[in-house]
Amino acid sequence: MLTTNPHLYIRRPSPTTAEFTVTTCPRLTIPLRLALLLILLLRISTITAAITTIYARFFLDPSSPHVQPAASPLSLLIQGDIFPLLTHALYTLHASPAGQFLFSTLEPVPSWALLLSSSAAIYVALFAQLHTTESLLVLRGLGIQTSTGGGGVQRARTRFIPTEKIRDVLINEAFRGFEVRYYLVVVVEGEEDVVVVFPKLLPRKKIVEAVWRGVRGCLFEGEGNGMNGRAEKGHV
Amino acid sequence: MSQSLAKECNEAKERYDTCFLKWYSEKYLRGVSTSNNNECSALFNEYNKCLQVALKERGIDKLLDEAREDFKENDAQLLGKKKSGYITARWDLVTRLHELAIFAWDYGVVSRAAKGFAALTLVFLLVFIPVERLATREANLNDGLMRVFWPADLPRSDLRGVVVGWRNSALDVFVLAILEEVEPRNVETALKLGTLTRYAPHPVNRIYELCGQSSMHVLGLSNHPESVEVDPSWIRVTTGSTRRVPAVSCARASSIQIILFDRPLPGRMQYISLNPIALALGDKQGSFRNDIVEEAEEKEERLRQEKKKKLVEKLKQHSIIKRTPSPKEKALVKVVNQINWAWELEKLLQKNVSRIGTRPRRALSVSERVVESATTLRDIVWVWLWNLMTVYVLPVIKRLFVLGLMAHRVAAEVLLTVLEWRARPGYAALKDISATAQQVEIRLQQFCYWPMQYVTLRLRKNDWESVTTSHPDYIRFYNSLWLVANDVIIGIALGSYIIDNADWVAWKISDLLSRYTVDALQSSISWLMGWPAGLKLNGELAEFLGDLFLWVIEYWSSCIETLQPVLPHMIWFIGFSSFAGASMPIALFSDLLSILTIHIYSFYLASARIYHWQLNILTSLFHLFRGKKHNVLRNRIDSCDYDLDQLLVGTILFTLLFFLLPTVVVFYLNFAFARMAIISLKAGFDTILSFLNHFPLFALMLRIKDPGRLPGGIRFELRDTKDFRHAVNDSSSSSSLSTSTSVIQLKSIPLNFKAMFHQYFQMGQRIRKHYLSPRVVLCLLTGKFVPPLNRKNLYSLQYSMLPARRAGILDMWDAVNSLPTPKRKVGPVWWVPSTLGNSGGGINGMAGGYERRRVGRHI
Repeated sequence: MLTTNPHLYIRRPSPTTAEFTVTTCPRLTIPLRLALLLILLLRISTITAAITTIYARFFLDPSSPHVQPAASPLSLLIQGDIFPLLTHALYTLHASPAGQFLFSTLEPVPSWALLLSSSAAIYVALFAQLHTTESLLVLRGLGIQTSTGGGGVQRARTRFIPTEKIRDVLINEAFRGFEVRYYLVVVVEGEEDVVVVFPKLLPRKKIVEAVWRGVRGCLFEGEGNGMNGRAEKGHV
Repeated sequence: MSQSLAKECNEAKERYDTCFLKWYSEKYLRGVSTSNNNECSALFNEYNKCLQVALKERGIDKLLDEAREDFKENDAQLLGKKKSGYITARWDLVTRLHELAIFAWDYGVVSRAAKGFAALTLVFLLVFIPVERLATREANLNDGLMRVFWPADLPRSDLRGVVVGWRNSALDVFVLAILEEVEPRNVETALKLGTLTRYAPHPVNRIYELCGQSSMHVLGLSNHPESVEVDPSWIRVTTGSTRRVPAVSCARASSIQIILFDRPLPGRMQYISLNPIALALGDKQGSFRNDIVEEAEEKEERLRQEKKKKLVEKLKQHSIIKRTPSPKEKALVKVVNQINWAWELEKLLQKNVSRIGTRPRRALSVSERVVESATTLRDIVWVWLWNLMTVYVLPVIKRLFVLGLMAHRVAAEVLLTVLEWRARPGYAALKDISATAQQVEIRLQQFCYWPMQYVTLRLRKNDWESVTTSHPDYIRFYNSLWLVANDVIIGIALGSYIIDNADWVAWKISDLLSRYTVDALQSSISWLMGWPAGLKLNGELAEFLGDLFLWVIEYWSSCIETLQPVLPHMIWFIGFSSFAGASMPIALFSDLLSILTIHIYSFYLASARIYHWQLNILTSLFHLFRGKKHNVLRNRIDSCDYDLDQLLVGTILFTLLFFLLPTVVVFYLNFAFARMAIISLKAGFDTILSFLNHFPLFALMLRIKDPGRLPGGIRFELRDTKDFRHAVNDSSSSSSLSTSTSVIQLKSIPLNFKAMFHQYFQMGQRIRKHYLSPRVVLCLLTGKFVPPLNRKNLYSLQYSMLPARRAGILDMWDAVNSLPTPKRKVGPVWWVPSTLGNSGGGINGMAGGYERRRVGRHI
């Protein structure tokens, strides 16, 4: 329900500019939105729980009682004393029933395992991606830009190729496991490696072909609407 | 003379013609004859009669009469008196035309011409019209796309304005500024006269040179009503304080790309570039390869690259269409430069806006004059003091400093030649052997390079701030300065600690040395001499080898004993050296380690040699055992007939050596492991050194502080056009509805961390390839000598901050002396009433700050 097969979205505000997005994210319906919100909450609570456990195990001294800060949390926030504020917040979390339950259940786990597992949990909660989205932006007169990844806290990695450097845009085929995949390739002038568009998703031939036609029509002047194009096959 | 129409009249015509020509040339042209009755009229009448008869016969006379009627009026007006002569000439022409007509009719020329005409019409209809239609459509396609580069941070206002910028090609414009409340005509003349770039701090030509255009243009109007007539190539812009994206329309464009960009601030050294900024100096890939003996893995790498190059070549032949790039596509590099210049140029233009057009001027009031003269007096005193400083004191200090610098440079040159001296080309120099020498060399090289770098950076001040070529130099210079400063600070801490605790450190070091390099080795050898781990080694051989090594170790330990009293002094020296940076004691320790463990190195060498020989002998005896031998000439195994005694002796030797092999192996492994431990320890020292010498600290800090200063390329984002559509709709302009517009945001990508540490990754890969390759494992197993990684390879990282060839002493002298002297402040001129109003003053304080200092120009 949360993901679908990769499918294509095209944004084309003018005939000379187009963005082709291939994504596994289905159409945003209300149940899906709710589910995504739930996942976000789950992520946040995972991170909080992991930080609280690390704090309780390694930084909290059980022998000395926690001293309440002189000022209220609000005034601390206003003054900008981040560190006492954080400590206070963590201690309140730890002292809450949920925090106590977590602490007591994790009591028998050795310290190193706890540290490893909680950092792994933080990493997963921060960087794990539910959907994969890859896109190709075509601007006539400027060039094309591939972007991959994004989601979580990272930004999408982009690569811009000026039109002058584009030698060709073509569809290639390759063996991958026991199947043959068709993929879109940009041959860049003066570079040894070709640039694969949608490298992670490697969508089906139909999508690739549609994108190829779109790119041809949009990028190169004087090729009309590109509907008369033929698929090229090259072996790289 | 032509033939007459009728043959019978030829004679009469000839007579008449001769007479007429004579009269015409001799009398008429000289103005002698005035009368109509010239002498030829009789002859003409004769000829006429003859011809009339002939014409009547053929039925042309009527035709002729009609023609005559037509011409009569004209002839009467034009000719007047010379009628008869003219009529004759005309007559000749008409007859000849008539002849031609008859001829044409006879030979069917008319029908042929008609056919030709029909064919041409057909061709025109079938070929030219479609081609022309196609061409116009193509032209429309090409011209339809308009590209507008628009600074997103341009001040937005609702006032009327004139858009000024670069026109890269017909429909490719780059907006620099909107000049408000001025007439477009005036702006155009001002741009032509250069009024708008007046009082630029640096040469204006530099702008045009770097932006790739010969002049700025008026690109259009902003916030003007639709009724104002504009040039069709101009753009109409609607902006406003509430509008994030301007609405742009152009009469010629069928679709518009608005590319918004945030202007990098040149004052903060921000800029954008298509390629990532190069933190390392990239001028010595070639020179590095030459003097290194090519190793196996490098050869492999090279072969792989060549193969790949062939593949790329093949791919090149597969590309079908070779397109010629359009001017828009070629403009990208220029556009990047223009973006970098946008901020500074806009400031310059806005500063000069007040000079456009004529404006009322007024004289200063009395109170203003008083203030003016008071500030002028203060300025005069200040300038006098300043000149005193710059003329007398500064040059002396500067000269002394330069002389001191040059003296140091000469000393550095001498030291460097010592460090780089090779007994023979290809032999190792001192810097290749010792880490300390290497460290000293790096510091000296840096010292030689700094003045050059500084001069380059100083020259930057004499240019526009938007020139970005020296920004990587700036980062490199300050990075190396900062690293050296850090190094010295850490070094002082470390050094004072070592000096304070010299005795303890010395004791600790000698303890460690005796424990690990003497006692541990001795105990392990004596363990091997007994039956280690239940292995039954050959007792005699083990005892022999063990005794040999033990004896050498004992001798070595006595040597170390004698060293013991000197050690505190050495430690003190090391501690003292660390005031030159923490890297010095580390390098010294690294060298000390290699000197003090030289016995382990030699043990390793000896045991490896023994083991290797034995293994070799065993392999060849094994061949003998099987009745084969190694053919050296063909480099293969051949079968061979051995004699019985050969076989017998060989087999006996084989068994003997085979049973002795385990004993040799354990000794070899013992020393090999010790050797590997020392190598990894030294690698650890080298890593620390490389971090101290090369860590991209400055770049890292810049990346956190201001990512705009470390450009790693550009990226585009397609903006949602929904809000923009809305904006267009309410702008009440009907033409913009028909043009489709896309809004794109151009952003600079900051350099990623991977690229910053690229050199480290490269070095790590090189080390991994060298030490963890299967080749090295094979070397270890067969007892071949594992060559240590070439220092030069390892240190390529640190040299990436330095040029391949250091500048000579004379170059440095020239460079240091070429520094421009600080500008003398010009003393203010006393205010003279006659100079009043000789410049176009601004209406408001916009041109203020800059102008107010110049007396004689008033606002």
